[in-house]
Amino acid sequence: MSALAIDPYREAAPAPEWRYLHHLNPLAKLFGPLPIMLLLLFSRGVAIPAAFVALTLVLLLTGARLSGRMLALLLVGLPIAIAVLGVSFGIWVDPSRLPADALGAGIPLVTIGGWTFELSAYLTGLATAMRLASLLLLSLIAGLTSTGPDLARAMVQNLKVPYRVGYTALAAYRFVPRFGHELEVIRAAHRVRGTERGRGPIAATKRILGYAVPLLASAIRHAERVALAMDARAFGAHPTRTERHLVPWRVRDWVFVVGFWAVSVLLYWWVIQAGLGSLSDSRTGGG
Amino acid sequence: MTPAPLLRLDGVRIRHDGADRATPDGVSFDVAPGEVVLLLGPSGSGKSTLALALDGLIPHDVPATLEGTVTLAGLDTRTTPVGALSEHAAMVFQDPDAQIVTGTLLDEVCFATENQLLPLDEVLARAQESLTRVGLWERRFDNPDTLSGGGRQRLAIACALAMRTPLLVLDEPTANLDPAGIDEVYAVLGELATDGDHAIVLVEHNLDQAVGLVDRVVVLDASGRLVLDGPVREILGGLAHDLLDLGVWLPVSTLAAMRLREAGAPIPELPLTPAELTAALDALDSLPALPAPAGRAATPRRSSSEAYRDPVSDPAESRYGAGAPTRPADAVHPSGGVRVRGLDVKRGGKRGPTVVHGVDLDVEPGDFLAIVGVNGAGKSTLLQAIAGVIPAPKGRILIDGLDPATTDPRTLARHVGFVFQNPEHQFITHTAAEELDHGLRIQGVPDDERGARVDAMLARFGLEAHREQHPFLLSGGQKRRLSVGTALIAGAPVLALDEPTFGQDRERATALLDLLTALNRGGTTVLVVTHDLQLVADYATHVAVMGGGRLLGVGPTEDVLAGALIEEAGLRRPPLARATAALGRHPEWHTVTRLAQLPGRVDEPHPPAEFPADLAEATAAERLA
Repeated sequence: MSALAIDPYREAAPAPEWRYLHHLNPLAKLFGPLPIMLLLLFSRGVAIPAAFVALTLVLLLTGARLSGRMLALLLVGLPIAIAVLGVSFGIWVDPSRLPADALGAGIPLVTIGGWTFELSAYLTGLATAMRLASLLLLSLIAGLTSTGPDLARAMVQNLKVPYRVGYTALAAYRFVPRFGHELEVIRAAHRVRGTERGRGPIAATKRILGYAVPLLASAIRHAERVALAMDARAFGAHPTRTERHLVPWRVRDWVFVVGFWAVSVLLYWWVIQAGLGSLSDSRTGGG
Repeated sequence: MTPAPLLRLDGVRIRHDGADRATPDGVSFDVAPGEVVLLLGPSGSGKSTLALALDGLIPHDVPATLEGTVTLAGLDTRTTPVGALSEHAAMVFQDPDAQIVTGTLLDEVCFATENQLLPLDEVLARAQESLTRVGLWERRFDNPDTLSGGGRQRLAIACALAMRTPLLVLDEPTANLDPAGIDEVYAVLGELATDGDHAIVLVEHNLDQAVGLVDRVVVLDASGRLVLDGPVREILGGLAHDLLDLGVWLPVSTLAAMRLREAGAPIPELPLTPAELTAALDALDSLPALPAPAGRAATPRRSSSEAYRDPVSDPAESRYGAGAPTRPADAVHPSGGVRVRGLDVKRGGKRGPTVVHGVDLDVEPGDFLAIVGVNGAGKSTLLQAIAGVIPAPKGRILIDGLDPATTDPRTLARHVGFVFQNPEHQFITHTAAEELDHGLRIQGVPDDERGARVDAMLARFGLEAHREQHPFLLSGGQKRRLSVGTALIAGAPVLALDEPTFGQDRERATALLDLLTALNRGGTTVLVVTHDLQLVADYATHVAVMGGGRLLGVGPTEDVLAGALIEEAGLRRPPLARATAALGRHPEWHTVTRLAQLPGRVDEPHPPAEFPADLAEATAAERLA
């Protein structure tokens, strides 16, 4: 039997050719950004994470199919979130622990009574907010452009993860909405029994523990049933299984990963060269 | 020459780890290719356990000991791995949600054949064939979650068909479905049985629909021993009394005919389906006289979308409309009554969709009201709003004289008890006695009084021996009774239950409804949402029919079931009502919808031993009187 004349098995609406991120192996989109994310964890200052926020935004805007809502979130929601988070983190910064020559030190932004919110504290908070935003965006490169099943398939096909692990993870993914619904029912059931009384953390903890028992009992039962149903359908009968969807690792995936690393290193190097790498000049060694 | 059996069981005994006895216990029978076998037996006889042994899940996957041998297509299931056995037998389980693994119908139906390493062309060809067969090919790219319960179960059948096994094993495939879903599944199963390509072993409590497609019946007794094995008509028709003694349910049409025989109707052969019952009755020139109707002579009142009227200032509005006698003024706040006017309910907060529209409903104290409708008709939402489980607008509901929208939960608990579908969801303490005590403590009942009331409630529901047991370790029936006890302990005169028989076999469901009937006779108003219309027919005094979020009508059970309302709501009448409605020669029988309306009497299966005997006997006698 040759290929069917009309292939009814393709995905319902494939992304256009030029949305290149959709046509990469999910693992490439994971392994490209991953080392950069580790690096960013240890970065300081606003400039480096901001540079990666910009780089990632360019990638997402050119390479990913984005809904109008997602576009608004990325372009409007994200900057607002960074600004607000910067203030909230900044408030918790202890100015006395910042070096005296920190950027913006001694420049008061707001003074309430005896407390002053200095620019240096805001910048420190902003750096944390910016770092979080860059991590989030980098994870969106894979998150917005690949599906869970494809990632599982790629792990099985390219990384040689045993398919029993990969596909069990996929099956477990289906549990999430089910348990969400079940939790709601349990909460209603407990409310009727009159347990929603009492405020404060102790009462809340007791309540949550009360939900855990019935939820766990039903989760275990459900998992056992799903396992039986999977075994009855020859799950794990052979070391491999027929793959209907191939997720190949192609040259373009190498190009993306190596290119992403190269651009990232260049960007990192350039920001530090430009003397923007840190809050204080002393830390960049005057480079 | 008889063909070699596809499946052979020889002295099969299965003991679950931790169980003290084996069920099934010494079962031997063969299944030939193409044969359709129905496995019957009372609760706890081990039917589902036996089903798991047919394709090797026992002993390979389930912690249980298997004695004797199961031979499938010449392979010993004990020594052949489940993966290899899956080429010869496919399973369909009770819970459609617990069989779905992937994100689209197509992935789902390819799952087994991909695991079997079949070539891609073959995988796709089989997927198309089996999805087409159950009518789901057009939806192959959809997420299984978007299917109805019946649709998901048809998908599970397609997945089994894709494996092209000579044997299909179905374990209670319709127990979790509404009537429409049951019909969908049986339409598919009927075709499979006629084609004869598959041998089918079916465990099913919904006999009224199963008997039509079955060749042979295998019956286990309560201790798991095989007692009867033979052609369906010989066993169900010929040995009906023996089956009742074993605690096995019979099709309602058979039960009805047995009752009529007792009353002197010369029915030569017991019918198994509604159509056969109709034919048997039409063959008779005269039928035994119907006993005088005990129910209230009233017609269903159509719900109108009348404007909201203050229930307090409008006591004359009774359920039977303008012509009916008005109630005395002191019945305005009767104990245990429910009055609903112009009720709209939104689901999921203020901006959520409105799922109940303009409902007017009266429930008199002491009524046993069943709310029925297809999935999504709004019946659970209505019940939860009435009982104050979900918020409802102010001034629309009076339950036992209180508006749940303005009453705090603690006070409300003294007036209405709510029982959820899964009793485990409601348990919050560590012993059965504490569960009951909790409800009293919340009400501020003094210590010395609480002990006595807890003891009384435990005794009432036959749980004295389990007072220190963890609620989760009780049996299914005990859990259900404890959950009813916790709902009633604060003294509520109204009990509301949401799908309490869902996923249970006929015997458990009957035990619960006997219990509810006993409470109802004691004065408790019972409101129950269910999709089991035969249970409704046999127990409820009144039926409210919902469709599309509206109350289509409400009235005494006999009238609603005999009228057109049930079918207008997209439901199917219960089997007895279907049989009598089709009668050509005895028009006066068209209104007979429940067994209790028939002349004569017949023993029904005995309730399980764990059920309190006095309560059960009292209610069974009352029901059949």
